[in-house]
Amino acid sequence: MISRASLLLLLAVTLSALPAAAQQGVSDTEIVIGGSNSFSGPLAFTGDQITKFGVDLYVRVINDAGGIHGRKIRTVYYDDGYRPQDAVANTKKLVEQDKVFAIIIPQGSPPVVATLDYLEENKVPLLFPYQSSPVTRGKRYVLQGMTLSDRSSKMMIDYLAGQRKIKKFAALYQDDEYGKSFLTAFEKDLARFGLKLVGAESVKRGVMDVSAQVAKLQAAKPEVTFLVLVPGPGAQALKERQKIGWTDTLMVSTGPLTDERYLALAGDAAEGVEGLSLWPDPVTSDLPGVKLYREHMQRYFPKNEPNRYSIAGYFAGMLFAEGAKRAGRALTRESLLAALESFKGFESGILPPITIGPDHETQKQGFWVRVEKGRFKQLTDWLKSE
Amino acid sequence: MTGQALVHVVVSGLATGSIYALMAISLVIIYNATRTLNFAQGEMLMISTFVGWTAWQVLHAPLVVALAVAVVAAALLGFVLERVVIRHAISATHFDVLIITLGLSLMLRSAAGVTWTHDEFPFPSFFSNRPVVAGPIRVAPISLGIIGASLALMVALGALFRWTRLGRAMRAVAQNQRAARLMGISVERVYSSSWIIASVVGAVAGVLIAPVIFLSSKMGLVAINGFTAAVLGGFGSMPGAVVGGMLLGVLENLAPLYLPASIKHSVPFLVMITILIVRPGGLLGRVARRKV
Amino acid sequence: MRHAALATVAAVVVGWPWAAPRYFVFLASLIAINAIVAIGLNLLSGYTNQLSFGHAGFLAIGAYAAAILTIRAPALPVPATLLLAGLVTAAVGLALGVPCLRLEGLYLAMATLAFGFVVVEAILNLEWLTRGNDGLRVPAARIGPWILATDTARYYLVVAVAALLIVAAVNLSRTKTGRALLAVRESEIAAQASGVNLAAYKTLAFVVSAFYTGVAGGLFALVVGFLSPDSFDVFLSVDFVAMIIVGGLGSILGSVVGAAVITALNDSLAGFQNYRPLIFGAILVTSMLFMPGGIASALRKIPGAGARPPR
Repeated sequence: MISRASLLLLLAVTLSALPAAAQQGVSDTEIVIGGSNSFSGPLAFTGDQITKFGVDLYVRVINDAGGIHGRKIRTVYYDDGYRPQDAVANTKKLVEQDKVFAIIIPQGSPPVVATLDYLEENKVPLLFPYQSSPVTRGKRYVLQGMTLSDRSSKMMIDYLAGQRKIKKFAALYQDDEYGKSFLTAFEKDLARFGLKLVGAESVKRGVMDVSAQVAKLQAAKPEVTFLVLVPGPGAQALKERQKIGWTDTLMVSTGPLTDERYLALAGDAAEGVEGLSLWPDPVTSDLPGVKLYREHMQRYFPKNEPNRYSIAGYFAGMLFAEGAKRAGRALTRESLLAALESFKGFESGILPPITIGPDHETQKQGFWVRVEKGRFKQLTDWLKSE
Repeated sequence: MTGQALVHVVVSGLATGSIYALMAISLVIIYNATRTLNFAQGEMLMISTFVGWTAWQVLHAPLVVALAVAVVAAALLGFVLERVVIRHAISATHFDVLIITLGLSLMLRSAAGVTWTHDEFPFPSFFSNRPVVAGPIRVAPISLGIIGASLALMVALGALFRWTRLGRAMRAVAQNQRAARLMGISVERVYSSSWIIASVVGAVAGVLIAPVIFLSSKMGLVAINGFTAAVLGGFGSMPGAVVGGMLLGVLENLAPLYLPASIKHSVPFLVMITILIVRPGGLLGRVARRKV
Repeated sequence: MRHAALATVAAVVVGWPWAAPRYFVFLASLIAINAIVAIGLNLLSGYTNQLSFGHAGFLAIGAYAAAILTIRAPALPVPATLLLAGLVTAAVGLALGVPCLRLEGLYLAMATLAFGFVVVEAILNLEWLTRGNDGLRVPAARIGPWILATDTARYYLVVAVAALLIVAAVNLSRTKTGRALLAVRESEIAAQASGVNLAAYKTLAFVVSAFYTGVAGGLFALVVGFLSPDSFDVFLSVDFVAMIIVGGLGSILGSVVGAAVITALNDSLAGFQNYRPLIFGAILVTSMLFMPGGIASALRKIPGAGARPPR
């Protein structure tokens, strides 16, 4: 039916051409931020935690206290299932249709990198992407989130090779951007000490069995074996190590892996494992900001357990809110950036005082931990990565 | 690479392979009876295992209760899905049913995420993780346990098909549906039974493998390997499913040992393509060689 | 009446960027790209019944080929880049299609599934060419002095190519070759008995299907602007299969409609986050239950509907 089809099309076109909302995502009453994230696919749990129980938790707190200069924050998220092309589509939708003011905490290197050019071209701030590859550096409108892999690596190698004089290192790494960026960083940092990796085995995401890779690494006899994995395979590696009775290596987890989920999955196979921790213990830490975080979680989402993912999102929300506050009532993208760049020694109560320089990196530190009786015990102070 | 390490890696591969074999068997059971591929097999396994786990947690009961509840949940799920959804579509083309099972798999996975979140959970095992050393051989009881339990289940299934009336009816329908109906066999009953049995096999596989790969909404992806195993061994054949599964598991483990990083992940697929080119019916399949 | 319908469609397509917001121009480009893949896949699966679960692999080859050409040979005009991308993919299609001639149904499906995985692995390993995991930024395409830097410009390129390929497909289906392909679908033995050279036509279907998908891949690279192995997983291949089955096997219109429906649906559900796969799956299930044979079959049942039957 021609007429029916044409009518429907006309209707669709008219509806989509309705008058646009406030220009930059800032109206008299609200600020709109959002992002494309994983709500399905391999990283769905993380995606949920950093947005709905992370950023949104802090947003609830702020909104209940009256908002920022009289404006409430509203968040919009779309699912990309870790697919870069979906991330591109979602991000365009957020900027062009939802008219967001800024993009906050998108997850994963491929989906994030796919949107970098578009966001820079359109001068949209990309705040605290949840990924560790240094490839997002050097963009005017990007503020980094978690400690990047090259900084992590520097801290880890300086501590192990420099302070503890360890010489033989191996790595079990995931066959993706996360794994590869750490591997490259390790090799570079080891070279500064005149060392090389004695073994490196890759693991595909979603792998069923890591026995071959672990056996090969055991044959290389490393003193330290880095685990550059996500919690599932990371725990599998530890259990595999227990299965073959390989006791004379120290397993060391990278920042993104050093979390309680991985401990829960590995059970007693995790005893004695060490790693670089990027956050204070979200469940037991007495730091004022962490306690507040737990209180807020208990108040708004009592069924959700505190964990490092939601605290990362909560922290991102905190930084954004503080930046928006400092920018004042006349909030623009430029004034937000300027405000964020003005952070000097900002006390969050969670991490050491934050100073954001021209490198736009918000997190540059970690501290060493060892697993004792199923929890991470702090071994060092905050390590420096400069 | 010491001999001991090699044995361990191979046994570990046989353990994963047993699970692939069970998955392959489930797929073949449904295919043989209804000529449809069940894309949702993995997700059904995942849901059953989750239900069993929830019961175990809530009731503080021994682990065997988790298994029992998982099996019952699986039977129920298989029965309901077949009756309510698949039965209505069976008259349509097979491709339609394919999309329906695809849709079901998406729904089940999402529902699991909503109910239990997409987090990963440790799952207790009947067998220990600590190695057992017997002379030059060191193996982990959990690998042996998975292999043993899977073999036991396969033997039980074999007996079912050989010696029970239902089993004979299922074989008849697999051979020739029309003739079976003419002989008075209730084809609908066979459909139901095959979905129930396949689902139960999946539940057992799930309870066996969850301690190793952890319980999560994405656990069902193991079914993809089940497909590969079934085709490798010769789709439609039970022994083929077993051989294909074991072979795939061992191949996946040996590849990283001996091959360079660049091709080790592709090896199972390259092997499958090669085998299909040389023997289009799979390793043990009936070679209906097409003269094209 | 059919000409009037076509004219309306043409008018809407041409006028779309003037009426629709920018995002929907981008979305329309994606729909057109998926439609090209769907037509290509349909040619293989709907006509000659060789169901493929590896078309994301062909898409990837076309995409990377076009991207690498755009980067390394920027002087090459876009039509040439797309053509080359299509040809490269077609060559791979030939290499895959010939050994697969002896495979049928399920076995072929698995072989194509394996192919999809192997392609992604190859992309990861040929790091010097594809930048592996880091991903590949695709610079803007150019036709002569014009740089296609806006969504609208790229949209017109995509629909122009899509229109060309759709017309070609329709013509193909009306020729002796097309009829032969259809005959193969209905019954291979009967087709052979009537003198159809089975091997040749099945191979041809593979090659043409790969060509179409390769060209679509090139367009994908230009429209999305960034390629990474994560873009081309098995679930994308399954999405394409869903498009042709929901649209209706063996129907070119079905392929286009199926692609539009699945793409638009996926897009509109993105805001449902966790519930997205649940709703999408439910829609798939109910639509197949109530429209057996896909949308094209359902349309055919409406008397007077302008849908072209596949025969």
